Amino acid sequence: MIETHAFESAEQAQAFLQTLGGYAEPPAVAPLKGEAAHEVAVGPVHAGVIEPGHFRFQCVGENVYNLQIFLGYQHRGVEDAIVQADGNLPRQIALAETCAGDTSIAAATAFAEIIEARDGLRVSARDHALRRLLLELERIANHVGDLGALAGDVAFLPTASFCGRIRGDYLNLTALVCGNRFGRNAVVPGGLRVALTDETRTKILAGLRAAKRDLDAALKLMFESPSVCDRLDGTGVVPKDVAAQLGLVGVARRASDELNGDVLARALIRRKEIDEAHEVVFGLLEEESLWAKDNGQRTMDSGEGPHTANASRDEPRSENSGWAGAASAAPFTAVVATVAAWRGPLVHAAVFDTHGAMRRYKIVDPSAHNWQGLAWALRGEQISNFPICNKSFNLSYCGTDR
Amino acid sequence: MLKALIARLRQGFRTGAFPTKAGPNLPPDFRGRPALDAGLTTDDLARAKAVCPVADALGHDAGGAFLDMGRCTFCGRCAEACPGKIRFTKEYRLGVFTREALVVRAGEAPYEPPRQTNPEACALRQSFQLREVSAGGCAACELDANVLGTLAWDMGRFGIRFVASPRHADAIYLTGPVSPNMQRALEKTYAAAPEPKFLIAAGACAISGGLYAHGTLPAVPALFIPGCPPHPATTLEALLRFTGRETFATTNASRLSSSLSS
Repeated sequence: MIETHAFESAEQAQAFLQTLGGYAEPPAVAPLKGEAAHEVAVGPVHAGVIEPGHFRFQCVGENVYNLQIFLGYQHRGVEDAIVQADGNLPRQIALAETCAGDTSIAAATAFAEIIEARDGLRVSARDHALRRLLLELERIANHVGDLGALAGDVAFLPTASFCGRIRGDYLNLTALVCGNRFGRNAVVPGGLRVALTDETRTKILAGLRAAKRDLDAALKLMFESPSVCDRLDGTGVVPKDVAAQLGLVGVARRASDELNGDVLARALIRRKEIDEAHEVVFGLLEEESLWAKDNGQRTMDSGEGPHTANASRDEPRSENSGWAGAASAAPFTAVVATVAAWRGPLVHAAVFDTHGAMRRYKIVDPSAHNWQGLAWALRGEQISNFPICNKSFNLSYCGTDR
Repeated sequence: MLKALIARLRQGFRTGAFPTKAGPNLPPDFRGRPALDAGLTTDDLARAKAVCPVADALGHDAGGAFLDMGRCTFCGRCAEACPGKIRFTKEYRLGVFTREALVVRAGEAPYEPPRQTNPEACALRQSFQLREVSAGGCAACELDANVLGTLAWDMGRFGIRFVASPRHADAIYLTGPVSPNMQRALEKTYAAAPEPKFLIAAGACAISGGLYAHGTLPAVPALFIPGCPPHPATTLEALLRFTGRETFATTNASRLSSSLSS
């Protein structure tokens, strides 16, 4: 989804970007007093192979009274780097893709859509379908991995083992399309650098059917196990009204809106999204008319011209304006792209001047909205419930820190 | 319990044949070690550099044209810009023990991955415990390192594990460019590991900063695993070779390299 907004000054455009939101560290809470009060500090280096963040559990006795989340360890200046790389599309795409590695495809799509809006590039139905296919594979792989990790955290090893492997099966299907397990280096403004041959399409269909069969069995085992369900049920509840007030998005929001907002609800929503994503992917792959005309055409952002091949311009680029498509005569134009990434809506926004030069870039990862949901989920719980609460959200540190 | 057993029977034994019985199952478009043609001109190089997402991954010095795998994201755009002159082979055994060995030169001799000669590293062949430090990257390297613990790769059968504390670790497995806010945490974690210890730099970011500014490493890495992110097969093979172990991949090196170049 693309929106454009015109502004008279850079300050106005900047003020608009700030309305898109982002992570705000909560105000510091005074240390608790009393005999039962104590604090547990964790991180930034954690016990698992995970990203850095610092958590401070303020506890009263056994229970968590408040969880403070300190981020920023992963900050490396992705947004500024994208602005500085203006004019070097391959570098800008690579930077967007590495904002959060598990959301590479969604990020590249959001960035590409912004450039497409600026340059008036039209993307073919086939390329839209291929992007969607990769995006849904990304969604499935991540949800499968998280459900497996959740099973692992409650020591239900069969599903943990199966899902760890099945997640890899989905990543390998992505790699079949573009050579990279995270779908890197595929999406570019105007289309994709890769094509989907009939041979690959057949392989992916077969691979998907096999993986889905294994996956259904693995998830059935987990969700039909009374011990697992009892452990997840009623743990880390974020009620519907709280989710709305905190502005949660994506899986966490759906879990509170459609179900009761506990860890089990977030797990069930993921299972539902896995099924929905499979329907989309099978629908796309089996839609013969979409791929019939596919002669392996690829869009290049390298070689001659910034983007050629099957991307067609709505109208020729005018002499004195950088804008060709959603043309704007305003001094500053903000283009906002929203992509339904697996965690929730991923927002990328760019401010261009009248010549089409990029002046500012902003990324709002869906995680940015959900950290306070995690903190809320832990209220009144024991610290030992943190791993499963955390896993049920699985928020991105690097996507938030940028 | 019975349901779990039935599910296990249906799923079958799924640990891959790599690296004990066969080479890895790589995707058709897998981009491994790059190869530069001896006839690469300065014009070609300029064209390739213009589309390269990383500064200084490609260059020219006294030794001629080079591609630095320590910076490369393996996106393949330079190969598109210079068809026939730059190409990415299917060679996945990319782990090396020195920074210089990551630099690929134009027209160089066929590649053979280095063998471990350091006795301290070879002493770890039975048990190699890693402490991962994620420092400012995008988490793709972390995810594909984690994957080695799953039953599909089952790194544990080789005695290699990621451990919870640096106190238990033989090596620090670093990913990410070392952001300013992780600098101190990385130093402290490295210092907390007992001697003898090694630093492993995994991914373009940890090796050179990649797309980002590079922080300061607490030591000179003893193992470099290039990639963005490195493929799990690349990582596993590198860890085994680093500890002086032979795998199918190394014992059948000649057969494999002939099949790779075809």
